[in-house]
Amino acid sequence: MRVRLDADACQGHGRCYTLAPAVFDTDDLGHCVVLTEEVAPEHEAAARLGVDNCPEKALVVIED
Amino acid sequence: MAAEDAEATAVPSAVIDLATSNDPRAVARELRENPVVQIPDLFSLVTRRHDVEDALRQSSVFSWSAVGMDLGNIRPLIPLQIDPPKHVKYRRILDPLFAPKRVARLEADVVKLVGELVSKFAARGSCDFHEEFAVPLPCTVFLRLLGLPYSDMGTFMWIKDDIIRPPGDDAEQARRRRKAGDAVYEYFGKVLEERRAAPTDDLLSDIINSEVEGERLTDEEVMDISYLFLIAGLDTVTDSLDCFFALLAQEPEHRRLIVEDESLIPSAVEELLRWESPVPAVPRRTLEDIEIAGCPIPAGEAVMLLIGCANTDHDALPGLENLDLTRNPNPHLAFGGGVHRCLGSHLARLELRVALREFHRLIPNYELAPGTELEYTPGLRSLHTLPLVFDPVS
Repeated sequence: MRVRLDADACQGHGRCYTLAPAVFDTDDLGHCVVLTEEVAPEHEAAARLGVDNCPEKALVVIED
Repeated sequence: MAAEDAEATAVPSAVIDLATSNDPRAVARELRENPVVQIPDLFSLVTRRHDVEDALRQSSVFSWSAVGMDLGNIRPLIPLQIDPPKHVKYRRILDPLFAPKRVARLEADVVKLVGELVSKFAARGSCDFHEEFAVPLPCTVFLRLLGLPYSDMGTFMWIKDDIIRPPGDDAEQARRRRKAGDAVYEYFGKVLEERRAAPTDDLLSDIINSEVEGERLTDEEVMDISYLFLIAGLDTVTDSLDCFFALLAQEPEHRRLIVEDESLIPSAVEELLRWESPVPAVPRRTLEDIEIAGCPIPAGEAVMLLIGCANTDHDALPGLENLDLTRNPNPHLAFGGGVHRCLGSHLARLELRVALREFHRLIPNYELAPGTELEYTPGLRSLHTLPLVFDPVS
């Protein structure tokens, strides 16, 4: 499983890195930075929550 | 009677009901039957999640700066009433100052403050939650953040109230807003002079000293930012606290969940924000002809994006008709969306989380004082008074 960010759509709601800090981090503005596009199996559930909580739909899950 | 009727039509009653109803979800459900509700010569209301979301994201079509809302100001408020691309310049300065990591530093201070506020009424076994908690908490946080003296609280309160909820007819309201606006410019004018002469370690000095592409902000720009902080940052957290605690006072089974398991508080905050939508509607004005759900909207039209409707649109996201404090995912729009996403959202979340946790540690059981009838305010959903009773805590 991979995650992809549309950086232009991200507005810094901060839901993703709050819920899945192993997968997402923040830049100085509070916008999302994807730490690992390839998500480790143990972080998949958290990553999905991070993606599904984004009000801007800036993140997508890509199933391999 | 005629004057009253005229006043009643000044803002569409559906928008008023969305804030003032004891059951705004029912009002929202009815509104969503039509994706766009056109109120001739006034507004087009956008009611469904998908369309509200789209409009929030298209800031070049749905403009804030063109709304022309009177908030007592003589220049556009920064960054809200500025459209992209200039808007980006301001958010680059302000976003880092309100990012989650930055506001997390305030947590210990907010914990202490909540303790102090509760200790003033805990032994009494009753309080006016609105007056004694929901108002002073965000106001005190704001004053500390900006490095302003606590003694200025009264000044901020009348200014904020006269801008957001001025009493009287239209002319009186405009007069009060103008006077409050003058007071804001005068107050921050003086503070800026002091800060320039002697910088301090607070948000205001951070803003004064920040640079974009090698340029500092002008005094007017700093003032226009401070003005917006004052009216956007104080009232909305008060509104949210009023809404949350009024609900939890009346629905003990929900309250018990967070009392028994504090780890649910972050999701409870998101769900209560969604359910109550303390900011039920946000205005925009169209800059070009556009269609919303097949309904043509001409350029120059005033539009209300009904956040409260979108947040309970269970056709878009199943299950939203129920309150579930454990809900996750919960991609609600209570803080808006697109480039104008609420700058203070992370500070608001911090204050709300700490308030829910610390208040309930001290006072886990409470209810509305007997005979209380809740009266929610129009515009932003808050209460004039929220009398609570509980077992006295010594």
